[in-house]
Amino acid sequence: MSIMSYNGGDVIAMMGKNCVAIACDRRFGIQAQTVSTDFDKIFEMGPKLFVGLPGLATDTQTVAQRLKFRLNLYTLRENRAMKPKTFMSVVSNLLYEKRFGPYFIEPVVAGLDPKTNEPFICSLDLIGCPMVTDDFVVSGTASEQMYGMCESLWQPDLGPDDLFETISQALMNAVDRDATSGWGAKVYVIEADKVTIKTLKARMD
Amino acid sequence: MEAIGHAGTCLGIIAEDGVLLAAERRNVHKLLDEGYFSDKIYKLHDNMACSVAGITSDANVLTNELRLIAQRYSLQYQEPIPCEQLVSWLCDIKQAYTQYGGLRPFGVSILYMGWDKHYGFQLYQSDPSGNYGGWKATCIGNNSSAAISMLKQEYKSEGVKLAEAMKLAVKVLSKSLDITKLTHEKVELATLTRDGNSCKITIMTATDVQKLIDEYEADEAKASAEKKEKEKASKS
Repeated sequence: MSIMSYNGGDVIAMMGKNCVAIACDRRFGIQAQTVSTDFDKIFEMGPKLFVGLPGLATDTQTVAQRLKFRLNLYTLRENRAMKPKTFMSVVSNLLYEKRFGPYFIEPVVAGLDPKTNEPFICSLDLIGCPMVTDDFVVSGTASEQMYGMCESLWQPDLGPDDLFETISQALMNAVDRDATSGWGAKVYVIEADKVTIKTLKARMD
Repeated sequence: MEAIGHAGTCLGIIAEDGVLLAAERRNVHKLLDEGYFSDKIYKLHDNMACSVAGITSDANVLTNELRLIAQRYSLQYQEPIPCEQLVSWLCDIKQAYTQYGGLRPFGVSILYMGWDKHYGFQLYQSDPSGNYGGWKATCIGNNSSAAISMLKQEYKSEGVKLAEAMKLAVKVLSKSLDITKLTHEKVELATLTRDGNSCKITIMTATDVQKLIDEYEADEAKASAEKKEKEKASKS
């Protein structure tokens, strides 16, 4: 039994044309037992900045709260919104501080630059190693399945609607092949002028 | 306390539907670089803002500390800090500097405005000794006594809406400031209101402030013209 698969859960983020999408499943379970079906792993950190925190559920909540703390102080002091790339560094720093007793989450950051609206996605490992890509990032108990789905379905420069379809199909089919993920999905499509949140009803098992 | 008496005026007024802080901007020098947006009014948290009078460097340290205190509370209890708690926490720190250590006290008076679910809209004032009090309307800084006596006469505690309170603030500021004419560059005005389930802190734009000032001056001109008419009528 791995501690990263104790609660189960997955997050994908994908890059589109002037937009990004981030999606997660909604299951919260304790090993085989499903406890709740509305446990979202994506948190809004800014109007166009979201972070997904799959892994151990208690760390999901704690890290989200601590990140909000750091981000709030930054915003108050600097009087401007944090760029996604900077936020990635904040996450990395927070995780590496616990290098020898880590938080058991592997975060995914997705957002648009507050000024230029340039899309940005990245993922980090549990001790804070960042990885920026320009296609997609996946994290969670069904990561192998998600890699397979994304690799086949993703293409560059997808518009918001196509991106929504792509990320939804990738996530839903990947989590259907994992016992500890699923029970619905939540998809956020982040564009320059709006954020669309859709809840998907998948195989509820 | 001396330094605060000479510092730029700040006043705060509570209305039925919000609180406002107005501050006089002293540093209107042609050569000064207008780097930042607001130099007297600081946002502390989603539900609180403050304005300072006194030694600016001390004020920076204190506002930073206030922001940290508010965030730490928010992290631990997952809800916004109640206003009085934030004020009283900082005042405990200020008081410690008057009793222990051989350090000098912070030369700042602070006006806090905020909302919480326990007591609604609140206005607090704290001074270097660490004393604080809750007010309906008050003023600190230069000519604060004149402003306070004016507020005592003109402030109505029931049924005042924010728009009326803003007009009152402009009136009090223009009468108690040293300068001859009030312009939007010399005044910073911030309001805190509730928008549904959340607080909204707005720092008014230069155009809006200028509009208020113009309205006030128009009212004043009308009032003094009417007075002159009355005097003429009573003489003849």
